[in-house]
Amino acid sequence: MTNGSRRVPRRLATALGVGLAAALVVSGCSATVQTKGTASSGTGSLLFAADNGSPTFARNFNPYSGSKRNTATIIYEPLFVVNTLDGKAAPFLGTAYTQPDAKTIVIDIRQGVKWSDGQAFSADDVVFTYELLKKFPALDTTGVWQHLASIEASGSKVTMHLTAEDVPAANIVLAIPIVSQHLWKDIADPVTATDENPVGTGPYTLGDFGPNQYKLEKNPTYWQADKVAATELVLPAANTQLDIVNNGYDWAYAFMSDVENTWVKAGKGNTYWFPPGGTISLLPNLTKAPYNDVNFRKGLSAALDRKAIADVAEEGYVQAAGQSGLLLPNQQDWLSSALPDSGAVKQDTAAALAFFSKAGYTKTGDKLVDASGKQLTIAITTANGWTDWLRGVQEVQKELLAIGIAVTINQPQPAAYQQAIQNGDFDVALGSFGGTGSVYQDFNNLLSSEFLKPVGTSTVANYQRFSDPKVDALLAQLKVTIDTTKQKDIANQLQQAMYDQVPVIGMFYGGLWGLFSDKSFTNWPSKDNPYATPQTWGSNPLLVLTNIKRVGS
Amino acid sequence: MRYILRKLGLLILTAWAAITLNFLLPRLMPGSPADAALAKLAQAGPVSPATRAAIEVQLGVPTGGIGSQYVQYLGNVVHLDFGVSYTFFPQSVSSLVTSALPWTLVMVGLVTILAFVIGTLVGVLAAWKRGTWLDTLPTLSGTFTSAFPYFWTALLLVFFLGYVLRWFPTSGAYGASASPNLSGTFLLDALYHAILPALTILITSLGGWILGMRNTMINTLGEDYVTFAEANGLRNRTVALRYAARNAILPSLTGFGLALGGVVGGSLLVERVFNYPGVGYLLYNAVTNQDYPLMQALFLMITISVLVANFIVDILYGFLDPRTRR
Repeated sequence: MTNGSRRVPRRLATALGVGLAAALVVSGCSATVQTKGTASSGTGSLLFAADNGSPTFARNFNPYSGSKRNTATIIYEPLFVVNTLDGKAAPFLGTAYTQPDAKTIVIDIRQGVKWSDGQAFSADDVVFTYELLKKFPALDTTGVWQHLASIEASGSKVTMHLTAEDVPAANIVLAIPIVSQHLWKDIADPVTATDENPVGTGPYTLGDFGPNQYKLEKNPTYWQADKVAATELVLPAANTQLDIVNNGYDWAYAFMSDVENTWVKAGKGNTYWFPPGGTISLLPNLTKAPYNDVNFRKGLSAALDRKAIADVAEEGYVQAAGQSGLLLPNQQDWLSSALPDSGAVKQDTAAALAFFSKAGYTKTGDKLVDASGKQLTIAITTANGWTDWLRGVQEVQKELLAIGIAVTINQPQPAAYQQAIQNGDFDVALGSFGGTGSVYQDFNNLLSSEFLKPVGTSTVANYQRFSDPKVDALLAQLKVTIDTTKQKDIANQLQQAMYDQVPVIGMFYGGLWGLFSDKSFTNWPSKDNPYATPQTWGSNPLLVLTNIKRVGS
Repeated sequence: MRYILRKLGLLILTAWAAITLNFLLPRLMPGSPADAALAKLAQAGPVSPATRAAIEVQLGVPTGGIGSQYVQYLGNVVHLDFGVSYTFFPQSVSSLVTSALPWTLVMVGLVTILAFVIGTLVGVLAAWKRGTWLDTLPTLSGTFTSAFPYFWTALLLVFFLGYVLRWFPTSGAYGASASPNLSGTFLLDALYHAILPALTILITSLGGWILGMRNTMINTLGEDYVTFAEANGLRNRTVALRYAARNAILPSLTGFGLALGGVVGGSLLVERVFNYPGVGYLLYNAVTNQDYPLMQALFLMITISVLVANFIVDILYGFLDPRTRR
């Protein structure tokens, strides 16, 4: 036995050496990996990573259900689909709408449309749908009845009366998927209904359904069937990053690390487009000192190198954000010319120190200290597991340390993070704002005191708890203004408030991670043709699926 | 008899404690089901302020006091009615568990038995041939592989056997176009998909059984009755299996009982990596979405089966080793 035990270390060393060598050999081989590329070219079939089973699919196509299949909003169309990049509405079941005054919306309903079971669609279906959401508030996930007072149909027109003068409400209330009166009127409880055989007006109907994969088939009687290029959508339940690069998807939505070498090289014609979808910002808790001091916030803002933060967090795929509160270049038309440098804030240590000294912090040695000589310490809260945000925060930590501020990072689980920011239980939190496509909604969610709640009470927007009567007045004015020149004038003043008061510190734009393949279909949304976002959920796919073209046709 | 009654009393007491803890623990987690749903939505895009209210109404998030929730919960446990899942609303918890359980029971269960049988036999051999390569090879590689984390082994297998060599599918329990049924083709398909996850569990759990059996067996081999049996000139195989191994297997048997009880909990990491529709994946979904009803049902199922397995092992022990009965 003693003999045996003495021999062990040498054998262990040998075993380790062999293992290591084997690992090196095998990893060397991996460079020659071939991709399968289930070639769908010519068949008109589109492999679509739009819906994840967890891990398998449950058959639920109720378009208002929280656990619906994502494609329910492709089967059921709304009146209009808003491109959240520029806020423009494309006509679907509505052909046009007018706002005769700020309290009324009149919609022309499309004629000659049929449900996929052959019955005719009419304005009555539209009214029925909105009344359904009123009767069952659990279905009203976007809150249309917070804006609507009543709705009525007359002939091919539907008129909506709003509760108050509310011009921006149009984008919210017109976006509801419309269901058929003749089928849904008999459903006793539409909240728990799973609508296993959906009958919609949309470009696709449900085909084969299995727990691991289902198909949507082109609707031959669709009212703009000539614009629908893909004859079939194939939706697998598992869409891991490995699957996406491996299986030759036509359209996927995923953040791919090193996208040029992973996605683009995985198949011929693979492209990507990552437009900005929101502004990732530091939210200072404005109910607490020193964060309630505007000089302190300006000091933080000037201390940050936003380009470096954007590059570290998102591998250089997104741009640094300015302090205008707008998503650029999406909302370029709205940008105020009064803002210096288009609202961008450059890193300027001297300026930062000047602001901090106005706020009562001075640099002593390599530390920034308060009047009592204690080093300034900031706790930043971000959600555990959102690794890109974490990398961004770590870069912030590094940059602030360079100016003498100690930063600690809190990483609660996502649900706990959500609770913390809603209750104002943080010093500085990482958060995202904007991206609704509406300048009013973006600014209102960020700055309106209508969401102002004391710390400890949950709110759903304005987490930093900003309040300024002047800004509230501007928002109220923007809400009732129909004239676009006047709207822009008000938006300019809101941007100025963002720039001067620094309610949040914009850092970089969160990307919308669109991965496309040109092998079977072209004309995907892109930087040069931003007719839709790359999002694979909601009504956005309707825009894309009616715009792409078959290769070779 | 008194021994069995005493153990039974203990079982009931621990079961009650487990059921109560099971009620309290999910509620001690920060955040609420609606927060979890919102955090998930917020990651995908901006969430409108109205969404939270609608989600709460839709989920029917518990509103009553903690006391009344507890009484209601106890009543539901007795009736085995666990309500409706938040995450997979409007599916019932029972239907979710019933559809996940067979996958875990068959895949994880068979592998656990297989690992125990192979590991124990190899352990016996290693102890009997101690000091030779038949000992050092399994012992060393067992030490090595049992230190592998599940997910790491799983990712290695996915990458090399699934992605580079393309021998096996990388995810799912059956093919894309298949739907669960009992036909031969489906079962073959399911078996094919089970190989990688099963291999992962086998690789990582085999080492423990080998080492455990080998070490106790070596102790047993030093006992007087083994020396006596050898001195009597009994055949090697008889001494190894019927004298030494039979006594040495007792601790391993306890471990096996517990492992079998734990099978219903599934293998969370393995099932997550392979997108395997078992209980482990369901548990992962329940926890990340703060799905109280689903979590309660799953934790309850796991604790009860571990308790029952423990109880059975205790009773067996009473018969195998009379000393424990006192």
